[in-house]
Amino acid sequence: MSKQYLTTHTIDHAHPTDIFSLGTTPTQILSASGSSSIRIHSTNNPDFPLSQTLEKVHKLGCHHLTTSRNGQVAASVGFGGEVKIWGVQDAQWSESRKIVDGSKAGEIWAIALSEDGQYLAATSFDGRINVWDYLADGAKIREFETKGSFGMSIDLSADGRFTASGHENGGIYIFNNDTGRLFQSLPSLVKPVRAVAFSPGGKLLAAAGDSKVIALYDVSSGEQVANLTGHGAWIFSLDWSNSGEYLLSGAFDGKAKVWSIEQRTCVATHTETEKTLWSVKWLPKTGRNEGFATAGANRSISFYREATGG
Amino acid sequence: MTSVRRPANVEVIAKIETLFENIADSLLRGEELSIPLRHKKFQSASLDGADAELSTEFTKVSFPAKTPREAWRFTVLIRILELMHEALCDNVVVSKRNIYYKDPALFKTQAVVDRYVDIFAYTFGVQRAALNVTAAAKGLVAGQFTLTSLDGTTVRRGPDLSYLIDDVSEVQTVNFSRVKWILVIEKESTFRTLASSNLHQQSRAGKGIILTAKGYPDISTRAFLRLLSTSHHHRSRPPPIYALADLDPDGIAIMSNYKHGSYTLSHENEQLNVPRIRWLGIKSSDIINETNGKEAKGLLRLSGRDRKKAVKMLENSAVMREGGGEAEWRRELQVMLTLNVKAEIEVLGEREGGVEGWVEEKLLANARGV
Repeated sequence: MSKQYLTTHTIDHAHPTDIFSLGTTPTQILSASGSSSIRIHSTNNPDFPLSQTLEKVHKLGCHHLTTSRNGQVAASVGFGGEVKIWGVQDAQWSESRKIVDGSKAGEIWAIALSEDGQYLAATSFDGRINVWDYLADGAKIREFETKGSFGMSIDLSADGRFTASGHENGGIYIFNNDTGRLFQSLPSLVKPVRAVAFSPGGKLLAAAGDSKVIALYDVSSGEQVANLTGHGAWIFSLDWSNSGEYLLSGAFDGKAKVWSIEQRTCVATHTETEKTLWSVKWLPKTGRNEGFATAGANRSISFYREATGG
Repeated sequence: MTSVRRPANVEVIAKIETLFENIADSLLRGEELSIPLRHKKFQSASLDGADAELSTEFTKVSFPAKTPREAWRFTVLIRILELMHEALCDNVVVSKRNIYYKDPALFKTQAVVDRYVDIFAYTFGVQRAALNVTAAAKGLVAGQFTLTSLDGTTVRRGPDLSYLIDDVSEVQTVNFSRVKWILVIEKESTFRTLASSNLHQQSRAGKGIILTAKGYPDISTRAFLRLLSTSHHHRSRPPPIYALADLDPDGIAIMSNYKHGSYTLSHENEQLNVPRIRWLGIKSSDIINETNGKEAKGLLRLSGRDRKKAVKMLENSAVMREGGGEAEWRRELQVMLTLNVKAEIEVLGEREGGVEGWVEEKLLANARGV
């Protein structure tokens, strides 16, 4: 059973250089790139107009950006190692807090926000995982140690109970935020893990990277339950659809794929460009059709929507 | 950009500056100026002549001097100190030959420079390398060209050997009319591989000149490349100049050094810049094939130092800042940090055709304007 997605719009040259990260809210898409500015486009208008530019907020460029599922909080990390937290009011974003990593040793890399934006989790170059309570004046509440391998990817479960991290040595861990303990050490992917994502219900964790496969793990048992094969290049980005029925992935060769979780197969492949896709994201559902956005080395943001009447 | 300044360099800079301060103080007080020196002195050997002993002798050279010769020595010492200080502050390596050619009228012979540089190293209690002075030229070049000096003498370089790159300040013109391309190479090993494969003679891209400074370039190598880059008045289209470096922060910094000068852009540095340099490789797209997703063997992870250096370059380099002109370098540094991957030129040797085959393809592709 394949699905049909059509390109509905492309924002050409949304940034002057590679777009490394996308974040979505119910009405907007935020994008971060090798340039110093974060740009915000409206997604509730068919022309996807630019609604705001956060000028010169990450001088050396910005490699990660994420939004809370409720759309109220965003966080971004620059190549200089700085983390900024953003709040939104009347569709206008402004900086609300900086996170300062108290212990200097590690460079903050990947980040994730909890559903309501209260917690921020981040990996570091030296393999540590930190969780901050952003509402409680940005205090660090958890610090997890791993085997010291670069933490390249991170996610928080929707209920905020678990933090998952993917590492350069292939290691994948799930930590229990309540107890502050390691909950699962999952079977390694051997090669760098560049994306991890909890399913919306929190039952499954998807992980992918240089091994070019997407592994699905059962969170409670820690067992690998599926291997989704089909990508021919390093995978950089994963995102679950709201219902948890579909998983979206983006790879180094510019291919985006949609996977049916029930069928464990790829149901759609899209190649807008042969250039690297650094980030792929589902968009909020409008009507009955789901859509997604892709961005990467071609500096554009492309929007896709499921073909109707199929 | 250049490499990080070594602690030994910082120590020597401080010592030279202390010396200058003492001289300035003496000037203010109207006292005699002097430079204290430590020599190695060979004691007359014992009767069997077996163990000539080393001892240390302290002397000073003063101004006003008792003899004209001492006055000259004082001037020579001050000039050498000044040149070493400049090299240290600019964080560039100079050869004894470079120093001599700064002021041949004063120094009279190369031996004078050699001797006093070594005496300063001994006086400061450091290795000569800590003074950023090398014994000889370190750059290597292969290819066919002729140098004509101001006095009319010519030096012809054939293509079959590699030559050390000497000081070119006395060179008036360089003729390399048959050369179709020039390739600057980061590493000596790659230079040797390409030279022995005769790429510069037999390439389908035409005859070329290849050169290396074995890492960060010294002044002689930069001056020679600059001379090549500006000596093309005899033809309409000058041969392109390419750089081949590792895909890591040092590789990009070395390329930047040739093209834009060292980090502190002193006046002299600017005169050595070669803005025409183009990046042949290796780039991330060369090692991680974007079309079929098959990555090259031999990819390495960035070290903590690599990451720090990349971030520093993004932050401090005038040309790699946002809007700084070298957008591609900036992008590749960011991609390096994101992938946490680097690669040495040697990875190309694993391919069919080796490094030389890869370079030839790139030269041809660039010539076609691809």
